[in-house]
Amino acid sequence: MKKYAFFLGCIMPLRYPGIEAATRLVMNEFQIDLLEMNGATCCPAPGVLGSFDLENWLVIGARNLSIAEQLGLDITLTCNGCYASLQEASVILNDKERRGRVNALLEKVKRSYGGGTQVKHVVEVLDKDVGSETLKNHITRQLKGLRVAAHYGCHYLKPTKIRAHGSSERPVFLDDLVSLVGAESVPYKDKNICCGAGGGVRSGEPLVALDFTLEKVQNMTAAGVDCIVTPCVFCHLQFDLGQTELRDKGRLKERVPVLYITQLLGLAMGLSPEKLGLYDNSVPPAYLERLGITGGNK
Amino acid sequence: MADERIGVYICHCGTNIAGTVDVEKVAQRIAGLPNVVLAKDYKYMCSEPGQAMIKQDIRDRKLNRVIVASCSPRMHEPTFRKAAQEAGLNPYLVEMANIREQCSWVHMKEPEKATVKAIALVAAAVAKSVFDEPLQMREVPVTPAALVIGGGIAGIQSSLDLADQGFKVHLVEKTPSIGGHMAQLDKTFPTLDCSACILTPKMVDISRHPNISLLAYSEVKAIDGYIGNFKARVLKKPRYVDESKCTGCGLCAEKCPVNVPSEFDLGLGTRKAIYVPFPQAVPLRYTIDRENCLYFKKNICRACEKFCTSGAIDFGQLPAEVELEVGAIIIATGYDLYDAGHKAEYGYGIYRNVINGLEFERLVNASGPTSGKVLRPSDGKAPRSVAFVQCVGSRDKNANLYCSRVCCMASLKQAHQIKEKFPGAEVSIFYIDMRCFGKGYEEFYERVQQEGVRFIRGRVGEILENPDDKNLVLRFEDTLLGEVAEREFDLAVLATGVIPRADTSELQSILKLSRGPDGFFLEAHPKLRPVETNIDGVFLGGAAQGPKDIPDAVAQAGAAASRAAVPLSMGKVELEGIIASVDEDLCSGCRICESVCEYGAIKMKEKSGKQVSSVIEVLCKGCGVCGSACPTKSIKMCHFTDDAILAQVKAVLRD
Amino acid sequence: MKDSKANRVPSWNLAKEVMSRGARIYPLEDLNTLYECVQCGTCVGSCPSGRRTALRIRSMIRGIQMGYREEVLDTNDLWSCTTCYTCQERCPRDVRVTEIVKIVRNIAFEEGRAKERHLVVANNFIKTGHTIPLNEEGKKTRVKLGLSPVPPTSLLFPEALAEIQEIMRTDGFYNKVIRDKK
Repeated sequence: MKKYAFFLGCIMPLRYPGIEAATRLVMNEFQIDLLEMNGATCCPAPGVLGSFDLENWLVIGARNLSIAEQLGLDITLTCNGCYASLQEASVILNDKERRGRVNALLEKVKRSYGGGTQVKHVVEVLDKDVGSETLKNHITRQLKGLRVAAHYGCHYLKPTKIRAHGSSERPVFLDDLVSLVGAESVPYKDKNICCGAGGGVRSGEPLVALDFTLEKVQNMTAAGVDCIVTPCVFCHLQFDLGQTELRDKGRLKERVPVLYITQLLGLAMGLSPEKLGLYDNSVPPAYLERLGITGGNK
Repeated sequence: MADERIGVYICHCGTNIAGTVDVEKVAQRIAGLPNVVLAKDYKYMCSEPGQAMIKQDIRDRKLNRVIVASCSPRMHEPTFRKAAQEAGLNPYLVEMANIREQCSWVHMKEPEKATVKAIALVAAAVAKSVFDEPLQMREVPVTPAALVIGGGIAGIQSSLDLADQGFKVHLVEKTPSIGGHMAQLDKTFPTLDCSACILTPKMVDISRHPNISLLAYSEVKAIDGYIGNFKARVLKKPRYVDESKCTGCGLCAEKCPVNVPSEFDLGLGTRKAIYVPFPQAVPLRYTIDRENCLYFKKNICRACEKFCTSGAIDFGQLPAEVELEVGAIIIATGYDLYDAGHKAEYGYGIYRNVINGLEFERLVNASGPTSGKVLRPSDGKAPRSVAFVQCVGSRDKNANLYCSRVCCMASLKQAHQIKEKFPGAEVSIFYIDMRCFGKGYEEFYERVQQEGVRFIRGRVGEILENPDDKNLVLRFEDTLLGEVAEREFDLAVLATGVIPRADTSELQSILKLSRGPDGFFLEAHPKLRPVETNIDGVFLGGAAQGPKDIPDAVAQAGAAASRAAVPLSMGKVELEGIIASVDEDLCSGCRICESVCEYGAIKMKEKSGKQVSSVIEVLCKGCGVCGSACPTKSIKMCHFTDDAILAQVKAVLRD
Repeated sequence: MKDSKANRVPSWNLAKEVMSRGARIYPLEDLNTLYECVQCGTCVGSCPSGRRTALRIRSMIRGIQMGYREEVLDTNDLWSCTTCYTCQERCPRDVRVTEIVKIVRNIAFEEGRAKERHLVVANNFIKTGHTIPLNEEGKKTRVKLGLSPVPPTSLLFPEALAEIQEIMRTDGFYNKVIRDKK
């Protein structure tokens, strides 16, 4: 049984516990053990806190890494923002001199980080540890007819030099996953563009962020989709909550429901929509009716 | 060793050396060393009076060793050796101490330390010179023939230039016809003359020239030997058509039922499985493409054979090997086009109406797949708006940092052609800098401006495709206005860069050539020896050395021919006297030297019942690898003996 | 030409400040590409923010190269970048554009130029270890989904919160936030 230290971050446990539940359920099905990182904090948020003080960002990131190091485990997580911070911090802290400076501060709280903790996005765990064969074998409910707008988000792929998942221009892993569950990934304009939330723009310039979101949703709607699927909790929030905000401002009529990848996968694995938290999103899961799903069988 | 009479000459090199190093002090200190008869400093040692002074001293003061402390021996060692020889001294008794590149230039901010270092370097040369022995240059005859590799415009030019001088030329071309990229071009900038019209007469000249033997559809597999005496093995690939019988009538292709995307038209048009790449091909001989021929695939058809009136089809033809003996080699292998698919943001290979510049040439060419009508690949309609996207794969650290030199002018020319065919079309060129540096180029830029082509200073960020009409949306910043914009075009032409050919590495290892950081073959000196290579007798013509337009490729190819003609017309070459020699009594016959020699210059021979190594003098380059690898110290490097080098080291460490 | 931009004297000081400050985190040789910007506009042509805001990332890089400090630091545009990295990925000179944005923001923050809205997030963080609060509804949803009401983070472990606060008092971040919060 493969084990990971499960880094929760902020948005998933505090705003979208459904994603946390879905991820834990799905990983359990694949016999991937998620251990708690007791006392972890915000990653810290790369866009806001990284923009304020990169050195503080690095030391708080190192503290989170040190918790996993104590458990003797690599980290997995669900948010591209957390991934941006912790994966980048782990790369930066491979440098001895930088690690030394960080450890001088961690020493004050009787901690240290030795380096070498790997940070893996849930996408990587599904791809590398589980693999498409096992994924296929667990699909019990083909999501035939479901038209999906795949949204990749930015920070799983970029900067490509340190993420090393290949080119960021035309990624396919999410489309592949959508096909794997029997659904259709629908091409739409500006598929690779940011949701608008990152870089502290959602908190600092919310209208600018919503403008991104509106344009993306309009492009998705124009392509005729039933739902949005994303591998990032923060993008998930921006689309789910953002569309409601746009509707409330009178800028958007029809909202497109959003699923996190483990929610999509869980649905295809026959898990119940309630347990996957699909009803806890701001936008109701209208696609369930189309798929003829009322309740789960697990 | 009391007989050594050493003269030392310290060069100022203007202020290059004297501005940093205290040359007088160096001369004073060196004058006090044993065996040093005189030590002088002078403003320019390489000048006529400087050389005259050395010659005078050799005669008057009976010098038998000369040390020149100046620049790198790569610059002036031949100069001073020649001067010594003229004064009756064996040229190998001249030593150089490099106090410019290795001293004054790198220690410009520390003159005192530089002076100390200069003294040490010169003292080391003095110490070594005591061990120098007179050596002889070796003279070998030259085969008065040349091998030209590559049959594009550069290879054609080099071949004709050498053949016209009376030398035998073997021109080897990989594809079924000579002509290269130039044959694919429509009109050429800035004069707008038709590419084929100026190229094909030269191609015909090649086929008719009594001194040229053309080996098309052939590849160079191996080259041995040295300047004046190279041996090349060339593989003639089977055409499955007897070249001596084929008349080029084309009936076979007419009857061939198989259509294949044409390489010459970059897949925009088709050819048959038996084909000539283009109507003016030289040699005008058909070739069967084995991969696609029904006979080879399924053992059926044979239509070509049935209809060929001269009985030229020969399905049983085998590859043949030809061995050539030549005195000089010219590399004219040209370039490849950057694969714009690597810039995924531009959608090349995904969006049908995004094409590259060479594809545009085929579309605009009267003998091309659209008979010269520029039509959109997606729907065959004439474009009303065309965007030219510059610097795709050039000036880009994620692709190639260098400027490809031809794309600005090529796009200007193509923009002009669009305006000529569709005066109402909106044509925009997106650029970082317009680089129009050649003769008549800026004037052509001005002309195209006058024609109403729009110039937008901004490298394109990305291209989107409208799924319904397949029009393209370019996203860019007009940097001169600071305005972000999206603009729709019917067709986008990517000015893809020029890159080294994919098979450059193969030829590099066959000839042991050097390549620059850009991947192109490296010239011996960027300014003064631009067509020579690190291998004597091997020259570079055209874009194999770096991106070039036609005038520059032709100039370089002509220069390569004229450099290659030097040894060919001399009839003999002198080879370096510094080579390895084997002490056969010490040699254990372990053959390590044989395995490390890059030049195949070591052979084993029998000597009083045991195997010992021996040096093939004409092949030895004097690199010294065998000497340092020899476990029994039985190989001696003339001019660089262990004793000499240790004396040098000791001299450096003395102070 | 009194009081005009025409008389400004360029300087490398800001570029050097950005690079040396950034080098505490990123490799200096990466940041040195800042010198190489040729103002080609690929960044702006690729920028999803620039299409809806006044952000012209090329001009910001130019401003840094020229040393026009106020122009670079005292602008709202600085905070319109979503750090999507598209510019950095496509830059033909490999200028670390997005990283430079963050470094410049660090300088602006240190000088008290951060936005009030951002400080709310920072304040949440220094008070709880998270950027957003956990409300009662959230707890209820967690329980309904079979999760613990409070996640096992600094929210559940006060000693963990004390740890990060200690770190932030030592490295000065705590005071920067509180000072700016006024």
